[in-house]
Amino acid sequence: MIAFEHVGKRYGGRFEALAHLDFRVARGEMVFLTGHSGAGKSSLLRLIMRLEKPSRGRVIVAGHDIAQLHASQVPFYRRQIGVVFQDHQLLFDRSVFHNVSLPLDIQGIEPRESARRVRAALDKVGLLHREKALPVELSGGEQQRVGIARAVVNKPALLLADEPTGNLDPQLSADIMALFEDFNRIGTTVMIASHDLALIARLRHRILRLRDGRLVADEGAV
Amino acid sequence: MKPSATPRRAKGAAPKAGRKVSTQRQEAPPPKRRGANSQQTRFSSRLRAWGRHHRAVSWDSFYRLLRHPVGSLLTMLAIAIALVLPAALWLTLDSARLLDAELDESATLTVYLETTVDPAQAARIDEAVSAEQAVLETRLISAEQGMVEFQESLGLDDALAGLDANPLPASIVVRPQSVELASMEQLSVTLASLTGVDEVRVDLAWVERLRHLAALGRRVALALGLLFGLGVLLVVGNTIRLAVESRRREIEVVMLIGATHAFVRRPFLYSGAWYGLGGGILSLGLLGLGNHWLSLPVAALAASYGASFSLPQLDITGSTILLSCSTLLGWLGAWLAVTRHLSSIRPR
Repeated sequence: MIAFEHVGKRYGGRFEALAHLDFRVARGEMVFLTGHSGAGKSSLLRLIMRLEKPSRGRVIVAGHDIAQLHASQVPFYRRQIGVVFQDHQLLFDRSVFHNVSLPLDIQGIEPRESARRVRAALDKVGLLHREKALPVELSGGEQQRVGIARAVVNKPALLLADEPTGNLDPQLSADIMALFEDFNRIGTTVMIASHDLALIARLRHRILRLRDGRLVADEGAV
Repeated sequence: MKPSATPRRAKGAAPKAGRKVSTQRQEAPPPKRRGANSQQTRFSSRLRAWGRHHRAVSWDSFYRLLRHPVGSLLTMLAIAIALVLPAALWLTLDSARLLDAELDESATLTVYLETTVDPAQAARIDEAVSAEQAVLETRLISAEQGMVEFQESLGLDDALAGLDANPLPASIVVRPQSVELASMEQLSVTLASLTGVDEVRVDLAWVERLRHLAALGRRVALALGLLFGLGVLLVVGNTIRLAVESRRREIEVVMLIGATHAFVRRPFLYSGAWYGLGGGILSLGLLGLGNHWLSLPVAALAASYGASFSLPQLDITGSTILLSCSTLLGWLGAWLAVTRHLSSIRPR
C-alpha cells in the first residue's frame, strides 16, 4: 500500500527532516509511527498526503509514485486517504453532521446517500445523537471522534492519523485506538503517528520508530 | 430512490441543497442502470452533482451577503457609483448621436440669389443647381415666400408690413448628397460660381464641431468606462480578498480533504457575481433617481427654447447590458482575487 524508497526530505536546503527512509506497509496493515517530537513523524505523514514532495527517493502509494501526480490530480488522490489530525481541523461554524459530510460534499455525493453515509460514520464513532451539535459544544474526545468520522465517511483504503490521542486522557485514548483497530479489521490500512509509547506497546501492532528523521527500529513487522 | 417517494428530507441534511433538488429529481429520476449505460450514468450523475453544488453554493453565498447587510450594501454601492458615471455619459452620448442623425437630415446649404434675379431666372438657376451631381434635392424659395416665412418665424408682421419693398432675395435650399464638411464646401464653391448667385452659406462648421465633440466624448466615456470597470474589479477583488482571508481555515481544511481549486473558488465567484449584480441594480436605481431629479429643469430649459426634450433612459437592452457587465465584472474581480490568494494558501 505504501512504499518509501530511499526517501529524504530537506527543508530550506539545510535542515534534514527525514533521511534514508526505506520501508513498506502492506495493504490492510496497521502501523504505529513513533519517536520524540521533531523526529519526523508529521513530515512522513505529510509526504504520504502529498502536502510535500520528497527531496530524494520515491514515495509510492497504491502503486503510484505520488511525486509524479499533476497538481490537478492531487485533490483526487487525497480523497482516497482519510486523515485524522491532532487538532482535528473541524470547522466551527457548522454542525457535526456538516463537518462529517464535507468530504462527500466535495465529491458531489447525492444528498440522501451522503446523509446515510454520514449517519453510518457517526454511528460508528458513537456520536449519532450529537449530529446537530456544533463542535464547540463537544468535549475534546468527542471532537476527535467527529474528526475520525470525517476521515472514514468516504471509506478510504488508507487512514492516516497524526497524534490522534494527543490531548486525551488514557481511557479516551484507548477508546480512540480501539476505533482505529475496528477500521483496520474491515481491511483499511491504518498508519498512526503517536508518542504514547505505553498505549501503543499494549496494542501489539507493527511499530516504526523514528529518531532525527531516520528509521531506527521496525518492530513486529510481518 | 423512487421519485414518487415522499421527499423526506433527512434531518440536518444540507438545507441549501435540499430545497430545489426534490422538484428536480421528480423530472429526472436517477437512472439505476448497469452495464453499457453505467458510463453514461456516471457522467450524468456527476453532471447533476455539479449542478446541485452550483445551486447550493450560489444560494449559500447569497445568504452570506445577507448576513452582513451593511457591508454588502456598501460594497454594492461603491460598485454602483463606479458604474453610474460611465453609464450616464454613455446615455448622454447616445442621445447626442440621435441628435446628430437629425442634424444630418437638416444639413443644407442656402444659395442666396441676387435681388435683381426675376422668378423665371430663379427657376432656371434652381434647375442648374439640381443638375449638380452632389445635390440631392433643392427647394426654391421665392422672395415673397421668404418674406412670409420670415414673418411667421419672427412674429414681426407689423414691423415688416411697414417696409416699402421686399428686401429679401430669393433663395434655394440645397440638400447635398454628402454631409461631409469638405464636400459641402466644395459644392458651395461650385454653386457660388453660377451666375445670379449672390452668396452660398454653409452653416455646418458647428455641426462638425459638435461631431468632433461627440467623438471626443465617446473616447472619454470609453476611457472612463475602462477606468471605472477597473475600479469595480478592485472593489470586488478587495472584498473577496477579505472574505478569502476570513475563511482561510475552512479553505485549508477542505483542501486537506481533497477539494479542487474550482470547488474552493466557486463560492467566492458567486459572491463576486452577486456583488456585481447588486451593484448593477443599485446603479440602475441611481440612474433613475438622477433622471427624475434632472428631468424637471431639463424640460423647463427645453421649453424655453420652444422644444421638447426628455432625458434619455436606459431601455431593456441597455439595462440588461449594464447588469451583465456588472455581474461579469464582479465575477472577474472575485476570480482574480481568489486565484491570487489560493496560491498563497497551503494546507498545514
